[in-house]
Amino acid sequence: MKTLRAYTVAFYVFMFAPLVVVALFSFNSSRSVQNFEGFSLEWYRQFFESESLRGSLVASLQIAFVTMLVATVLGTMLAFGLVRARTKWSSSANVLMLVPLVTPEIVAGVSAFLLFTQIGLQLSLFTIILAHITFSISYVTVVVRARLASLNPEVEQAAMDLGASRIQTLRLVVLPALWPAILAAGLLVFALSFDDFVLSYFTTGESPQPLPVRIWSAIRFGVTPTINAIGTLMLVISLAAVAAALVLQRERKAT
Amino acid sequence: MDGDQGGLSGRFAARALFPGGLWLLVFFAAPFVLVVAVSFGTPAELGGANYGWYPENYSRVFDPLFLPVLARSVGYALATVVLCLLLGYPVAYYIARFGGRRKQVLIALVVLPFFVNYLIRTYAWVALLSDEGVINGLLGESIRFLNTPWAVILGLVYGYLAFMILPVYAALDRMDPALIEAGKDLYGSEWRTFVHVTWPTTFQGVLAGSVLVFLPAVGDFVAAQLLGGPETYMVGNLIQQQFFGAEDWPFGAALTTLMMAFLLVWMVLYLRSAAKAVQTA
Repeated sequence: MKTLRAYTVAFYVFMFAPLVVVALFSFNSSRSVQNFEGFSLEWYRQFFESESLRGSLVASLQIAFVTMLVATVLGTMLAFGLVRARTKWSSSANVLMLVPLVTPEIVAGVSAFLLFTQIGLQLSLFTIILAHITFSISYVTVVVRARLASLNPEVEQAAMDLGASRIQTLRLVVLPALWPAILAAGLLVFALSFDDFVLSYFTTGESPQPLPVRIWSAIRFGVTPTINAIGTLMLVISLAAVAAALVLQRERKAT
Repeated sequence: MDGDQGGLSGRFAARALFPGGLWLLVFFAAPFVLVVAVSFGTPAELGGANYGWYPENYSRVFDPLFLPVLARSVGYALATVVLCLLLGYPVAYYIARFGGRRKQVLIALVVLPFFVNYLIRTYAWVALLSDEGVINGLLGESIRFLNTPWAVILGLVYGYLAFMILPVYAALDRMDPALIEAGKDLYGSEWRTFVHVTWPTTFQGVLAGSVLVFLPAVGDFVAAQLLGGPETYMVGNLIQQQFFGAEDWPFGAALTTLMMAFLLVWMVLYLRSAAKAVQTA
């Protein structure tokens, strides 16, 4: 029991230490990524002074935001259909929804790349967004479906018996109960899209490229404190989104 | 209850399936057909593909030049699964049995690093392990860690460990603690209780974790590119090269199709075993 506890502590150190090192050296005053010589914000200044890197940050945020909006709407509707409809299509739709979750990223990347190039769509932010939406819908559906399945349909029936229309029932009864799950799913998708590298790599145009693609090109030239700074920025943004999603999920359980 | 009386279920809900379902058909299912179609074509100049019937793309996969790459991918992915199990099971066990009120927080801490960009997480190991990296700096030596198979496998393990811990934790958490007490009464030692009671009860979780780790690991190209070199390249690197560099899209599509087929076999086998387990439970 004691050794198990010590082991678990060591495990958490193993998980977090590399990330702490990356963050630490992003504040190094010297170019070294081996010796910490003093605190400075030099690498962040360089990042924000570079117009093309700023453009990449904005592109990444735009992609994540649009992906979040569209995937959340489509995924929530799909969840609703899967839980409440009993048609001959339900089980096929269910399989179609689940397979993207277990498709290796490279397979997803190649198929998206071939689709866009074969139908003659110029690779750009737009194609990245299309690809991201495709692989985000299922996450939303899984999260929202879990919440939806725990709702009692008789409450909706009662609302309609009292004279509410279908749309009113959706808006006033179903959606308020689903909100925490929908928001959590949206934040999750935001983080996934913002972090995604492989899909973006296969579907990106020349410029602007999202941040992970820029990091990929930069890493080939070695370890530099600027990459540490970009990495730390990305880490903060996606962890903030996920932490918010986790808090929402916890509140959901509490109510 | 029947929704067609005017409720939100039934036909009204069926319409909600339409937009998302159509999207997935167009952008997810249809491209697979395209990948298979391109895999039988010939490379056009400057990338692209001419459609046709050239199954040679598939026989080329078994060329002595490429076969070691495929074997290496499966080998690395299997090593990753085994290491994730050995490293992750004890952690899941500790959290499920002794986590107490902090269970949720401890699991959140397992999940959190996985939402840091995968490139950055792999890059972190480059920074730690490189010849002028942090570890060599601390040791005051210059040991070559990078460009070895172990560095690549380490990157894969670090990248996908959570996919093992979560399902194993779920299985352990579902397990009735009274079972372990009963096991101790029957078998005595902790170890024998584990072998005869805990392990069989959580085996489905282990199987789920293994599949979840194996699928992304076998197709990964980031770890081998950043932590390894040409002699550690995996099938993912080979595929990526066909589209960005070698400009042989049909061969890249053939490799992708084979990988999908290979993974599909494992997924079906896993789902069968899971279904059987549910039936007998």
